[in-house]
Amino acid sequence: MMERDVVVRLLLRLIMVVVAYAVIRILAPARTLLAGAALGAGALALVALNPGALASVEFWAGLVGFAAILSALMIVIHPNPMVSVLFLIVNLFCVALFYLFLNAQFLAAIQIIIYAGAIMVLFLFVVMLLNLKAEEGLTARGGPQRYGAIVLGGLFAGLLFDAILHRGPQPYFDPGTFASGFGTARELGGLLFTRYLFAFEAASLLLIAAMIGAVVLAKRRLR
Amino acid sequence: MMPPHYFLLVAALLFAIGCVGVLIRRNAIVILMCIELMLNAVNLTFAAFANESQSMTGHVFVFFVMTVAAAEAAVGLAIVIALFRRRRTTDVDDASLLRW
Amino acid sequence: MDPAVTRILVESTVKIALFFFVVLTVIAYMTWVERRVSAWIQDRRGPNRVGPFGLLQPLADGIKFLFKEAIVPPHVYRPVYLMAPALIFIPSMITLAVVPIGPAVSLFGRRIALQVADVDNGILIILAFASMGVYGIALAGWSSQNKYSLMGGLRSSAQLISYELAMGITIVGVLMATGSLRLNDIVTHQMEHGWNVLYQLPGFLIFLTAAFAESNRLPFDLPEAETELVAGYHTEYSGMRFSMFFMAEYANMITGSALATTLYFGGYHVPGLAALGLSETAAALVQVLAFCLKVAFFLFVFVWVRWTLPRFRYDQLMNLGWKALLPVALLHLLWVSFLVLTGRG
Repeated sequence: MMERDVVVRLLLRLIMVVVAYAVIRILAPARTLLAGAALGAGALALVALNPGALASVEFWAGLVGFAAILSALMIVIHPNPMVSVLFLIVNLFCVALFYLFLNAQFLAAIQIIIYAGAIMVLFLFVVMLLNLKAEEGLTARGGPQRYGAIVLGGLFAGLLFDAILHRGPQPYFDPGTFASGFGTARELGGLLFTRYLFAFEAASLLLIAAMIGAVVLAKRRLR
Repeated sequence: MMPPHYFLLVAALLFAIGCVGVLIRRNAIVILMCIELMLNAVNLTFAAFANESQSMTGHVFVFFVMTVAAAEAAVGLAIVIALFRRRRTTDVDDASLLRW
Repeated sequence: MDPAVTRILVESTVKIALFFFVVLTVIAYMTWVERRVSAWIQDRRGPNRVGPFGLLQPLADGIKFLFKEAIVPPHVYRPVYLMAPALIFIPSMITLAVVPIGPAVSLFGRRIALQVADVDNGILIILAFASMGVYGIALAGWSSQNKYSLMGGLRSSAQLISYELAMGITIVGVLMATGSLRLNDIVTHQMEHGWNVLYQLPGFLIFLTAAFAESNRLPFDLPEAETELVAGYHTEYSGMRFSMFFMAEYANMITGSALATTLYFGGYHVPGLAALGLSETAAALVQVLAFCLKVAFFLFVFVWVRWTLPRFRYDQLMNLGWKALLPVALLHLLWVSFLVLTGRG
């Protein structure tokens, strides 16, 4: 069945990511070069096996998914917070590309403007200003709790996969009825300013409150 | 065309990785980043469902989640900075004054 | 592969290659233009030894930089240090990719848009990659692991994000008048209703000021001034990487000029061209030339302002961005909405 195929491919990809990272960490000294060479060779092999794949959506969506999952893992694993910030930026870019695959062109641009362009700059500034160094390794303190967290995280992911793959009957998506204005700013604006107007205004109030709050909280006390 | 399952599965995986990150890491800023990762996974799920049912309501939700995420990131980081000024550490295990 | 896909790939590759070649040549010759125009302003000769009128000077400078010893200090954080100059360059290139250079022409039997990427939300792409430009400088400052570079990088990034706010609001003014996010539609609207600069002049001035700040040009070039903070965020760079920063600055200048032309000065529009009755290809060529001349004029304005005005102090700079430009931009937005409501925009 198609869903099993998708899940198997995804799991294989995840296992490849974890194995790749383990190999890289073990061969620590020359890791950047080795990692780059390995990933490049893998990509070339994939393309050489099936040249028509370059034009297929599945290949590119798979590639972006691989990058998203790899960068998410690196955020959690890497000890240096600045490197975590950079991997989160990569991840946000991958999510923006996903939005493009999902016909959400306005959301893709907004994701880059707001998330990758403003929120992550904020994170970057804070990490630079606080001059944070790399924290010690993952297994330094609170050992069993960390392993428990990873195991439970895996079980949680399994639960979510199960829920997604055994959904009830979903509406049939007929490509013929694809409205050409779907996902544009015009459609979104039409909804935002009519049906969701109250939420829109409340969100603007929220932003003002957050701005004032952030300025007050981070202010140095005036002596 | 990609089956809609694909995006939902990737989003679920990102969400789980974010959860594990919040539980494992001790640096307050990295915890906030993992929360942002979880919010992004949720946004991706909304967008995938919106695409499947051709309804723009999903996009409206994504818009508002992004707004709230921006506000929350700003205030959260301000709190971390205030805490750092007092204690010179961003380790959440050290912010334990109210513990028994 | 599907012939349609092959055609798109070939077309895009050719456009990107041409585009890169042209932009890199313009960047190289901007150094020559800068030196000659600054010499003219300061009543002296510029470079005139290397080749006729000193035209081979950029080539000589390039060779010099290539042969310089590129020292990578041992204390830097290498992956980010090596990546940072490219990170400043890439967003401005992507922004230039959505700017239309001319109208669509029929070449080789099909319509080709004279634009690398004709996307439906061109303005949003511009805003997106204007905000991505902050990373290169902040990361260059941080990766140098040196307190002067860090402070220079932080100051420069703070300057960039402050001015991109005012720039975004003036772009929203143009967007309101046009009613569409596509840059081609903006040019078409200006063809019909007159250039945007004529009734959005305050917005244009704010946009130009913000463009100066975004490309770190005088009067806003405190972060890279020689007398401040050693050399700011590019203290630890040498050789070709150092020259990458200046190439990126010129690329940002070109992007700012191209945007100012497209958003306010009618893009490739030549008033009165229809009356001449030229063939389609000739008309397109004239319009492309007009676009290039307008961009060249703005580049000249960039150089002119640099050698005329003194530098802003950092607190003056931030005050200008937040306390002066932002309220004026908001008032300008009110003005544009009034114009649009009364049907004049």
